[in-house]
Amino acid sequence: MDGTAILPATGRPAPSRPLLSVQDLTVQFGTRAGTITAVDRVSLDVAEGETLAVLGETGSGKSALAQALMGLVPGPAGRVVSGRINYDGTDLLARPRSYTRRLCGTELAMVFQDPLSSLNPVLRVGVQIGELFRRRRGASRAEARRKAIELMERVGIPAAARRVDDYPHQFSGGMRQRVMIAMALALRPRLLIADEPTTALDVTVQAQIMQLLADLKAEHRMSLILISHDLGLVAGVADRVMLMYAGRVVETGELREVYQTLAHPYTRGLMASIPGLAGPRERLTPITGSPPDLLRLPSGCRFRPRCGFATEACRASQPDLLPVPTGPESHRAACHHAEEVVADGRSG
Amino acid sequence: MAGPADPLLSVRDLYTSFPIRSAFLRREVGRVQAVSGVSFELAAGRTLGVVGESGSGKTTLARTIIGLERPESGRVVFDGRDLPDLSGAELRRARRQIQMIFQDPYAALNPRLTVAQIISEAWAIHPGVVPRGRWTAEVKDLLARVGLNPDHADRYPHQFSGGQRQRVGIARALALRPRLVICDEAVSALDVSVQAQVLNLLVDLQADLGLTYLFIAHDLSVVRHISDEVVVMYLGKVVETGTVAQMFTAPVHPYTQALLSAVPVPRPWAAPHRQQVVLAGDIPSPMSPPSGCRFRTRCWKAQQQCAAAEPALVDRLAGHRSACHFPELPARARTAAVVRP
Repeated sequence: MDGTAILPATGRPAPSRPLLSVQDLTVQFGTRAGTITAVDRVSLDVAEGETLAVLGETGSGKSALAQALMGLVPGPAGRVVSGRINYDGTDLLARPRSYTRRLCGTELAMVFQDPLSSLNPVLRVGVQIGELFRRRRGASRAEARRKAIELMERVGIPAAARRVDDYPHQFSGGMRQRVMIAMALALRPRLLIADEPTTALDVTVQAQIMQLLADLKAEHRMSLILISHDLGLVAGVADRVMLMYAGRVVETGELREVYQTLAHPYTRGLMASIPGLAGPRERLTPITGSPPDLLRLPSGCRFRPRCGFATEACRASQPDLLPVPTGPESHRAACHHAEEVVADGRSG
Repeated sequence: MAGPADPLLSVRDLYTSFPIRSAFLRREVGRVQAVSGVSFELAAGRTLGVVGESGSGKTTLARTIIGLERPESGRVVFDGRDLPDLSGAELRRARRQIQMIFQDPYAALNPRLTVAQIISEAWAIHPGVVPRGRWTAEVKDLLARVGLNPDHADRYPHQFSGGQRQRVGIARALALRPRLVICDEAVSALDVSVQAQVLNLLVDLQADLGLTYLFIAHDLSVVRHISDEVVVMYLGKVVETGTVAQMFTAPVHPYTQALLSAVPVPRPWAAPHRQQVVLAGDIPSPMSPPSGCRFRTRCWKAQQQCAAAEPALVDRLAGHRSACHFPELPARARTAAVVRP
């Protein structure tokens, strides 16, 4: 089958040079018990206007990856050991940290999971949003306030002109996340990194926030890296997905291609773990066991002890992230038995 | 499907409220009505799912049933007896038969006790369930039953992963051989692959032990998976109730429709006819609920009438009940218009 023909055109011009290109990034954390490699030789590209979803469970390394991209790996325990983070033609890791710092806000911005701990509780939200304009754009107090109201309106905070003088605790969880998004977008960044932006929110509010991110992304032609544990949540907005397990990328490709042709047993196990909203209620077929201790990784493939396809080859060597046979070039999986997994999925 | 047998648990017109106190002198200045006239019945061996957003009153409902909160009015009838009226030995016996599994497996277990101590503590409090000489053997049986290694009985909670800790919580709940188990967001904090394992475990335990579950969760796909019947709550009130088939194929209350449409599905292209309703705004504060229908401030169908009068929970079709002034007929709800405010 001609793989590239499976996907419908997305209606976007073909991406040229990626805005962000990460190569072989490795992040380690020193703990009392030893050094753990939270992110292990991860590479990724994000084109202008594109949304990449980074998916994984607890301990997969997805958040450490986001921290590394923003230059926020908490030292001295954590550090970027090797790799390159190429942003718009500049290797950020080769430059002093102040360089990345300067890009934050105007080029790169981040939205975190817990908006309450990311906002200053004793400052009015208008002041916090406006501060960006005062510091980075030299705006006057009045001008910053006006800009703050404008942004709050844009992210859907009702009665923005009144609420601009409220404190963070006076906002609901969903509204606080809107404030965070307003701050992240204040200086019109070209790349937004959203780390579990809706995890703490109710499902109806989660839908509002995802809608808002999708609208803003389209409006600004912004690139988005969406970090999540929820395979369903990202399906509505992401162009491509990247699944992580124990610090490694296990599968990546166009979202629809990956979700329809699962090529890694882990991705397949995750998908089978989600109870459906329609169709017959069947017994779930979860992945057995639990994720490995990063201090005591199994030899060869890290997923091996939980994998039904595992053979001697999986014990002997760690699989590389390679194009899935019979699939498009962009669909890659790190599994010695990817072909078998795909074939098994088609027959089952 | 509802058999003629008496329900194991029957909740009738239950009201639970909390005082709002002033910062100064802690004087009572008002009350928050957390549970506001909730009624339902739960037959033995079945699972009732309770869904709703934070602030809907589902946790207070559970706490009132188990006796951690005192109801303002209404009845909680367990196995034919009115729980709030019981005292002494009878209350102890009833309490033993109702156990709870909590959301946070990190907070719910005492970090200073071993798993064996955590589980057998219940037998010290309720003597006569398991004789002391059998404790060690019984702990091992329980651990094996919930899928843990029986040899790990002397380990402490921190030596287990989140999913394993939740299994310890389940073993503790089972220790007293309960008939009703209340699961309050019991799988919400778990990673999806582990969540599926625990869901399967709960299903197996129900089949093996004949347990009855009151399953409280905000995740509708999980609730659909495990429940026989579902209650949807909004600001302390039941807005819709029915069997899983009724509720998930033909929801009639606008709030249920909105909740269902907000659930992210992994392959949206495979369900092109799914409704898309994105609700505006947040759930209002339970301290000052809207007049009339409590959902009207976020409802796209709201009219004058909704502010004036509270809709009653009315049977629409074969036990499928909803509280709405403008109900859609259950049979037609399936093709309801696409709404996108």
